[in-house]
Amino acid sequence: MKRSTWLLAVAIIVSLSFGVGAAKPIELTYWTHTDDNRTEIENRYIAEFTKMYPNVRVKRVVNEASKMGDIVLTAFSANNAPDLFNLPIEQEYGYMKNYRVAPVDCKAIGVKNYDELKSQYIKGTFDAVTMGGKIYGLPLEITNWCIYINKKVFRDAGLDPEKDYPKTWEDMADISDKIAIRNGDILVRRGFDFRYPYYLVSFLPMVEQLGGKLLSDDGKTAIVNDKAWLQVLEYMREWGPHGRNLGSPTYAAPRKIWNKDNNDIAMCLSGFYQQGRLQNDNPAFFESKEWMVVPFPVFKNAVNDVACSFYGHYLMVNAQAPKEKQEMAWKLADYMLSHSMEYLVKVNLIQPRKELLTSKTFKNLPYTEVFMADMNRAHPVFLHENGYQFERFIKEAVEGVMLSKVPPKEALNTLRNRIQEVLDNE
Amino acid sequence: MQQHKGFSMEQKKARWGWIFVAPTLAFFLVFSFYPIGNAIYMSFFKKNLLSLKPPEFVGWGNYKYLFSSDMFWQSVANTAIFTVGTFIPLVVLSLVLAAFIMSRTKLQKFLQMALYSPAALSSVVAALIWLLIFDPRGLANQALNFINGTSGVNYHWLSNANMLRLSTIILYFWKYIGYFTIVFIAGIGGIPDYLHEAALIDGANRWQDFWHITFPLLKPTTLLVSVMVMIQCLKTFSTQYLFTTSGAPTRPIDVITLSIYNTAIKDHNIGRASAMSVLLFLVMLVLTWLQFRISRTEEVTYM
Repeated sequence: MKRSTWLLAVAIIVSLSFGVGAAKPIELTYWTHTDDNRTEIENRYIAEFTKMYPNVRVKRVVNEASKMGDIVLTAFSANNAPDLFNLPIEQEYGYMKNYRVAPVDCKAIGVKNYDELKSQYIKGTFDAVTMGGKIYGLPLEITNWCIYINKKVFRDAGLDPEKDYPKTWEDMADISDKIAIRNGDILVRRGFDFRYPYYLVSFLPMVEQLGGKLLSDDGKTAIVNDKAWLQVLEYMREWGPHGRNLGSPTYAAPRKIWNKDNNDIAMCLSGFYQQGRLQNDNPAFFESKEWMVVPFPVFKNAVNDVACSFYGHYLMVNAQAPKEKQEMAWKLADYMLSHSMEYLVKVNLIQPRKELLTSKTFKNLPYTEVFMADMNRAHPVFLHENGYQFERFIKEAVEGVMLSKVPPKEALNTLRNRIQEVLDNE
Repeated sequence: MQQHKGFSMEQKKARWGWIFVAPTLAFFLVFSFYPIGNAIYMSFFKKNLLSLKPPEFVGWGNYKYLFSSDMFWQSVANTAIFTVGTFIPLVVLSLVLAAFIMSRTKLQKFLQMALYSPAALSSVVAALIWLLIFDPRGLANQALNFINGTSGVNYHWLSNANMLRLSTIILYFWKYIGYFTIVFIAGIGGIPDYLHEAALIDGANRWQDFWHITFPLLKPTTLLVSVMVMIQCLKTFSTQYLFTTSGAPTRPIDVITLSIYNTAIKDHNIGRASAMSVLLFLVMLVLTWLQFRISRTEEVTYM
């Protein structure tokens, strides 16, 4: 008896010491973009996580969103990248294509396989991060944009927001013209204005509504359906200062000034997160119910009912990190993302988990049904390794017709040639 | 005096000289010469910044591509327009302002500080301030409308190609005029007083004193300022970057540095971006050499 007690004691000591030895210290670096509300909850999750895994230390580094892409790229090219990070999927795509990020470790996140993981989220969640049958990221947020309307400005222009809100792009131009107040050529109040730099998210779907595409299905030919492209470019020319003068990229960004409720813009294009920012920036306007959200319009002669593309930020793990770090990084990502309700309520981020989207809390939030309905008629943002280059070329084409009086046909030909050159050099 | 075994005094001095300059040399080797060498090397390869594959040797391929690319030539033209448009007013007016400030007996320090203050601002803040001014509803349109006696005319500061170029030049001029004025003031301050006094005794007026005494003796400073301004102008980036990311069209202000940034960081094509950097470096080198060569014709000495 005595001997067996001794043996047990020795066994416990040995197993404990082996256990301690096995749990060697791990320091994870997690790079993300600025968001005060998210920082608050994620710091708490990290504290809880490191309590569960005392051998793990997590260094959460916050970067300005606009610089995050450059910083992460530089770090990866210098082989000095973070273990865990997030970026917009358009940027993350290049990391996947070049195998710089690791596939999701099912074992680490407690699922049997990818099918089980997919079953927890709504359909299509992982389309953008799936390559060769493997999933490369977990969704931190999925965003699509709809039209936010300031009802007071509508009424001030003699319009009934509930009835007269724009259903088509033609309506959008006419309503904006009614709402616009000008001092000579200068717009003092705009009806609506676009989010100009984001041509892949919101401009390309307008072309797709008319049957156009950026690339052919085999990805070898640039610009499909000239007629569709020309109609949208002509629409943008008309929108600009040399047309009906309804807006221009050189005015203040609509999303930023809309929250102020200063009678200088009636509509803007934004995501669900705008509500959180509105609540912070202008709580009185948020509470006033003098605003509403309506779906992304379509052209009258649209052949496809396509809404604004949805994009997302996915948590990804550096494929060059040691295996034990990768495993722990996925565990941390999974632990943070298991709090999707708090991300929604405190940060206004939608993580497309089925349990969240079917919850009463989600359904009771303002206009979530509009966003989800639009999400159902949308597809993920255009993804390509040279996506940013193409977006820059589209920017030049659109702004050329809007601001520099370039004829739409000429702008389209230049756009085609530039994209084709990139495709031919691939 | 007995010399140290094997080392002359000169050699000893030289050895200490090397010891003192070694840290700076090491710094330059690591942070300047190595990147320059690496950029030259990379310019002969096709390399995706994110790819783990080894770079593919393409010889002069990147250079051939650039010389046949209309986008590259457009960025060369944009850089040339910006450099000429900024260089001449910046050098001339900073000299004029320096002479004016030095001729004042009062408020010299205040004027220097007031002129210099924009240089202390970060380029980002300066660009943001001017973006507000150039906004269609901003001060620039209001001022021009007031001057022209018009109302509500939009001068398209940030959208018309020529106005946009002018906007970037104005911003740059505003930011750096004070800095170069101070450099000229230092140069003027270095000219011995007795030369001015002698000129005055000989009956020269202020204009003659400036033109025949100050200006010729400022030649080294003028050379320094002109080289600095030219290099600064050729390297301009943040103004154009911030303007284009704030809605201004890219094409008219797509200067070489912006093109390098987009090629490397947005398109991940580090080989082509390196080739562009090497070409820019060579242009700067040649122009600087030319300036030194031209200025060597008349050396300045104080008698």
